Amino acid sequence: MGKNLREPLLKLLIEQKEGYISGEEISQRLICSRTAIWKHINELRSEGYQIEAKPKAGYRLVYRPDRVAPEELIPHLSTTSIGRAVRYQRSVPSTQSLAHEWAKEGAQEGSLYLTEEQTAGRGRMGRIWHSPTHSGIWMSLILRPPIPLNQSPQLTLLTSVAITRALRKQTNLPIQIKWPNDLLIHGKKVCGILTELRGEQDQVHYVVQGIGINVNATESVWPEELRPIATSLAIEGGRTFSRPELIGAICGELETLYDGYLSYGFTPIRILWEEYAGMLGQEVTARTGQGSVKGIAKGLAETGALLLETHTGVQTIFSSDIEW
Amino acid sequence: MKMHEIRELIRLVDESKIEEFELENDGTKVLIKKAIAGAKEVSIMPLAPEASPAPAAPTHAPSSVEVPVEEPVKKVEEPVKEEVDSDASLHKIVSPMVGTFYRSPSPDSDPYANSGDRVDEKSVVCIVEAMKLMNEIEAEVRGEIVKVLAENGQLVEYGQPLFLVKVD
Repeated sequence: MGKNLREPLLKLLIEQKEGYISGEEISQRLICSRTAIWKHINELRSEGYQIEAKPKAGYRLVYRPDRVAPEELIPHLSTTSIGRAVRYQRSVPSTQSLAHEWAKEGAQEGSLYLTEEQTAGRGRMGRIWHSPTHSGIWMSLILRPPIPLNQSPQLTLLTSVAITRALRKQTNLPIQIKWPNDLLIHGKKVCGILTELRGEQDQVHYVVQGIGINVNATESVWPEELRPIATSLAIEGGRTFSRPELIGAICGELETLYDGYLSYGFTPIRILWEEYAGMLGQEVTARTGQGSVKGIAKGLAETGALLLETHTGVQTIFSSDIEW
Repeated sequence: MKMHEIRELIRLVDESKIEEFELENDGTKVLIKKAIAGAKEVSIMPLAPEASPAPAAPTHAPSSVEVPVEEPVKKVEEPVKEEVDSDASLHKIVSPMVGTFYRSPSPDSDPYANSGDRVDEKSVVCIVEAMKLMNEIEAEVRGEIVKVLAENGQLVEYGQPLFLVKVD
């Protein structure tokens, strides 16, 4: 039993809504002792759940904290691999670093590291990713794709498409993708993806994708310099969103697209990406280590590289920061 | 989904070995099936409210994806190439993909590996980035870095030598 009791117990309490459920009924339905129930009720309380215990009536859930713990996520999962193995801690330095360690220990495909808060969340090239407590989705996903290593950059586009689809369905907000994988609403960043790979010349050992989504954040939780360039689903939507529900939806879209990608290749992903990319047909600037190039964003090459029509012809951009 | 995209899909499926192809997108589902004689059937239907399961995986490998090494934004020179080729006893760590070469994890941190540094198989020696995928390149051999062959921030080609290592 142990930890596995917590999720069905919470489910029973949630199902009762305003009513009570007796200790005896819980004990029969979960096939466990009354002492075990009491122990798990107290554990839930220590996580912030308020559970009323009334003699003769039983237990009643009074308050449910906003958490992304496995027992809150599992009811929203419809997948077979993505998100089926979960590690969760209330606060961590960085889910990305912990997921790397987990992957080296042999974590299975689709394993997900979740937290409420990162104290040293990171982006590319040592940049900081602000992850204030309970205000967003801060998670790292482990994949072991059986693809040649030089195709692996396509995964960044795949994940941006999956998250866009999930968030559009759940929020109806006009989320767009900036090449290759930033998610924007009205030009402001709502989601960043950090993809890190370990492999050999032609073989991928594992990929860790760090996904940071500003969900219920208000501007006040961000440092001054981020406010003009960042936004959250709540700021744009005018209401808060359930983070476990969003994570469940993202896992679902990811699994569908990832399975499709492994079976049929990149073309379906490319077509979807182009549909969600607001920048196509517009003039953008591509900054690289060797200077910047202006051109019209035309679409994606079959590799996932950006096709940029410049005055000297169409250039294929593999690596660049895009200004749009 | 736009008509030209559906047309393109049909063309791509037609050219491939794929026999059946299903795609869901914003409430539209496209199903393309090839008949044995080579004829195609395309059906487009609105989706049921509940999400349909992932398409079943065929047994063949994802052979439809082809990744040619394309011309990069700027051609990178390889000034030490001849020298590299002449010293066959040294191990070359080469780039596994087209991308930007980074010597350190962040602009203000020390390089992963300098000339004279000892490395083993699992030592990360650099990052090659493409489409924001950060590929941490391991030495894959045990020995001493003799030369760094690419500049920080430089665009590198598939197979381009990045480091020379004197293997133990």
